[in-house]
Amino acid sequence: MDWEQDLAAAVTEGEEIRAEELARAALEEGAAPREVLEKGAVAGIYQTGRLWEEGDYFLPDVILSIEAFNKVMEMVEPLLAGEVASTKGKVVLGSVEGDAHDLGKNIVAAMLRSSLYEVIDLGIDVGAERFVEAARDLHPDVIGLGAYMTTTMRNMEGVITALREAGLRDCVKLIIGGAPVTADYAERIGADGYGADAVGAVALVDRLLGVS
Amino acid sequence: MGLTAKLLKGTLYAGGLRIGKLDGYERLIAGIYGRPDRVPIILQPYTFAMAQHGLPARRFFTEPEPFVNASRNTAAYFGADSWSPIFDFYNIELEALGQKLIWRENSEPDVDTREPLVASRDDFRRLKPPIPGRGGRMPYVLESYRRYIDVMGIPPMAYACSPFTMAVLIRGYVNFLRDMRRDPAFAHRLLKFLSMEVVVPWIDKMVEATRTAIVVMSDAWASAPNMTTQIVREFCLPYVEKVVRATNSSMRTVMDSGSWGEKQVAEPSEILDVKMDMMTRGNGFKPLRPFFLLVWNEDYEEVGIPRMRAYAEEKNVCLMLNVRPDLIEEGPIERIVGNIVKLIGEGAGKGKFALLINLVPVGTPVEHAHAAVAAIKQFGAYPVGSLEPSAFRMPSFEPFDEWMRREGLPV
Repeated sequence: MDWEQDLAAAVTEGEEIRAEELARAALEEGAAPREVLEKGAVAGIYQTGRLWEEGDYFLPDVILSIEAFNKVMEMVEPLLAGEVASTKGKVVLGSVEGDAHDLGKNIVAAMLRSSLYEVIDLGIDVGAERFVEAARDLHPDVIGLGAYMTTTMRNMEGVITALREAGLRDCVKLIIGGAPVTADYAERIGADGYGADAVGAVALVDRLLGVS
Repeated sequence: MGLTAKLLKGTLYAGGLRIGKLDGYERLIAGIYGRPDRVPIILQPYTFAMAQHGLPARRFFTEPEPFVNASRNTAAYFGADSWSPIFDFYNIELEALGQKLIWRENSEPDVDTREPLVASRDDFRRLKPPIPGRGGRMPYVLESYRRYIDVMGIPPMAYACSPFTMAVLIRGYVNFLRDMRRDPAFAHRLLKFLSMEVVVPWIDKMVEATRTAIVVMSDAWASAPNMTTQIVREFCLPYVEKVVRATNSSMRTVMDSGSWGEKQVAEPSEILDVKMDMMTRGNGFKPLRPFFLLVWNEDYEEVGIPRMRAYAEEKNVCLMLNVRPDLIEEGPIERIVGNIVKLIGEGAGKGKFALLINLVPVGTPVEHAHAAVAAIKQFGAYPVGSLEPSAFRMPSFEPFDEWMRREGLPV
């Protein structure tokens, strides 16, 4: 149908107002919410991912595309209640204490959502205790920590220690990412994985949870 | 010796007229324009100085006296050639405009990106330029510079936030991306306002207060992959040029720096070319003519130092590399020394080279920072000779508290 292609294109092109209008119109014409999400928004964001991997898209293009995807998601998600029996898993994300940057985390969140993960975003400047509370209360499958400065990267280790002290470390997979973070660092502090970029983060979560 | 005499001595030394010994500042000048006696070391004391002196962030980033004294003490303790009073220079104009910051106990304040000051066009219409030198923490900056002059006898390098990075921070990254794509006229209006109503008056005020010869606008957001070079050329560089035209003089260089991203693009020279254009053309007085090519470890480690060196030589500018902060923090000393040897071996050439210790992470053992500085001093002597890390001689040093007591330095 035309709306599917148009909505996917609006998401890929980062036209969030148009994407929202197209999604609303499709719903009003009787399209199922899940169809709007998967055949429109998810198809569009996947095309964005392809363009990024092929080098045709730059980060600003990806960001605007994600914004458009999020607009559609915000509209459709409440309508999905009960319809989607299960997601692939639940992921809690946050930028660690002292870090007010959220660009990378937001991209990872959108890519995970588009891959049908339930994402709970704790935001920026998140202390170790909040991650512990989230692990205890929300029972996520994965916790993702972002740090975007050398000065804040060290706080990742504090989260792992706090989870261990609370007896929750083994209940959850813990992944880390961000500009100064490396795979070597992830291994040294005892994280379960490191994502070099958002696409890598999705593949990592898939692998850790054994889903495809 | 006055600033002009130091500039002259450093420049003459660089050109081969080697009269007398160089002090730290002269060594830096000689290193920028040619061959000094050894590779210059620039240190940014920043939050390490804060922690070393047990100062809470609120005091360090608001009170000139402890800020300058702590920064000076730390730079002197490690034996750097040159240091600048480095505060959170991205935030000063923004805060004076009314942008909310997040304050923490043990680190620098940061813009609260959840609440950008210009969330809407109406917010922009309501925006009033700050009174230069009086808004927010501008008085703290000016008084800190005055104290630096008292302590060091020369003006500091002054810092401003570039209009482009300020626009991103004040508007929010996604909003500003949308502006540039959908309403470029608005983006240009905002950039023009920030350039001419905020940055230029602030630079003029800092220059009036310090007579500084160098003003650096920092432009972290004009970096790949967050921005494309096309965006930077269209929305950033024209405003750098506007500010430079309005504030440069024959005795002053105003320039843009601090961006990165060479490893993010297929052809690193694309980014390096932008960096050179950020320096614009400088001025007629050779010792103040641009200047240096600053490349960060994330990029040079992937692209390779020889490629950066070749580019700097082609453009006839000083290559400046930072020393990887997490390596200084983690050590061990052998690894730090090995890294310094690599930087010097691949970067020092026959001069026009400097090393920047831009960050010593809080909690770094002092022997690590001492080792980094000592290794640069030992292996960085020109002409660069044997670079065998095992020949490194770790100097003895006093614990910081004892050194402070012996020197009788104030905090």
